[in-house]
Amino acid sequence: MKLLEMNHVKKEFDGLGVLKDISLSVEEGEVISIIGPSGSGKSTLLRCATMLENMDGGELTYMGEKAAWETDCKCVYASKSDLKRIHSYFGLVFQSFNLFPHYSVLKNITDALVSVDKIPKKEAVERAEKLLGQLGLSDKKDAYPYQLSGGQQQRVSIARALAKQPKILFFDEPTSALDPELTVEVLKVIKELAKEHMTMIIVTHEMQFAKEVSDRIIFMEEGIIKAQGTPEELFGTDNERVQEFIGHLSGA
Amino acid sequence: MLVSVEIFMLTLLFSLPLGLIIAFGRMSKNGIIRTIAKLYISIMRGTPLMLQLLVVYFGPYYVFKIRISPGYRFVAVIIAFAINYAAYFAEIYRSGIESMPVGQYEAAKVLGYNKVQTFFKIILPQVIKRILPSVTNEIITLVKDTSLAFAIAQPEMFTIAKQIAAAQTTIMPLMTAGVFYYIFNLIVAVVMEKVEKAFAYYR
Repeated sequence: MKLLEMNHVKKEFDGLGVLKDISLSVEEGEVISIIGPSGSGKSTLLRCATMLENMDGGELTYMGEKAAWETDCKCVYASKSDLKRIHSYFGLVFQSFNLFPHYSVLKNITDALVSVDKIPKKEAVERAEKLLGQLGLSDKKDAYPYQLSGGQQQRVSIARALAKQPKILFFDEPTSALDPELTVEVLKVIKELAKEHMTMIIVTHEMQFAKEVSDRIIFMEEGIIKAQGTPEELFGTDNERVQEFIGHLSGA
Repeated sequence: MLVSVEIFMLTLLFSLPLGLIIAFGRMSKNGIIRTIAKLYISIMRGTPLMLQLLVVYFGPYYVFKIRISPGYRFVAVIIAFAINYAAYFAEIYRSGIESMPVGQYEAAKVLGYNKVQTFFKIILPQVIKRILPSVTNEIITLVKDTSLAFAIAQPEMFTIAKQIAAAQTTIMPLMTAGVFYYIFNLIVAVVMEKVEKAFAYYR
């Protein structure tokens, strides 16, 4: 089943086209990496998919339910109650973690479950503790975000997103704020999730990681998808621009 | 002494929430509401508190020809102080709210918090921590400003000290009043330090 469908998505900032007619569909269990130079629109695409930005045109559909569509050249969004349900289908992990600094690690994870999803507190805590255990953070549940390393913070934010049991998880450059050592521990977590067939869309600059983890890689530039395919296809491409970009980043 | 403490407490009780409402108005997307809030803050901060006291106290008589009852004196003091301090607090709240990283709102939105939950659970607690030093400043000024109530002959600590000083031609009552204000503020400073410490569990 198609979990996510984006059709002809357009987005402008101050008259400048950042996304120009992007279409993308994601099957259940697929892991997709989006690569491309800065300013290519990768993050904007993710922000449109997660509705942090409103699209200027196109269609956004989760699990067959329309979140946004185009009428009379204008993008309209679904009703508040529909959007609320659609919001529960996805999670997002930010580059800068965005944990809530005044909440403990445990409360960062459980609070949305309790106050948004109305899950009993006991169940929420059990769910959070299980996830923290899986991510090797059991001893940190009472810590506050400032007491954690960047890698630990990012793992907590992954746990926070996973706790809501989303159908699809987005990552917006999850390791760009981390040093190489901490990057490894976060990428390891994402690889584990990929093994469990979590549906994921990952914007990343880690080429080796993208190659290992993805079922499909999308290369974006200047607001359009320039190339896409399996890692083998993309890394073996004769598309000069893609070669140049990949070669550049992997230092080959 | 007691009257000064009452003015102080009641002013805080009313001006702190009122300030938040004005801050919302000041940041409103609606241009009319925003302009009204801006004008309000501008007038409240731009004119002397003593004048505002006089207007609130005598206004009902001069404008509506309502006879001022003696009990209104204290009420007028509280109204004037509350609406004046609310303007200052509004700007402090605004500075705090606008300093919050947008990522906090975005994380809350993606997790499904609605706007009210986002503000009261995620944003406001962090804003309070950020604005505490400015609020402390304002509260210390308020302690001293309570003496302005003498402008409409509200018998508070400073008014009484002045009367005794005039009657007995000695400066001692005024000095004593000064010491009381100082001790009052010392207590305020200690309490606010405790409050800041209570928020120190996170960064």
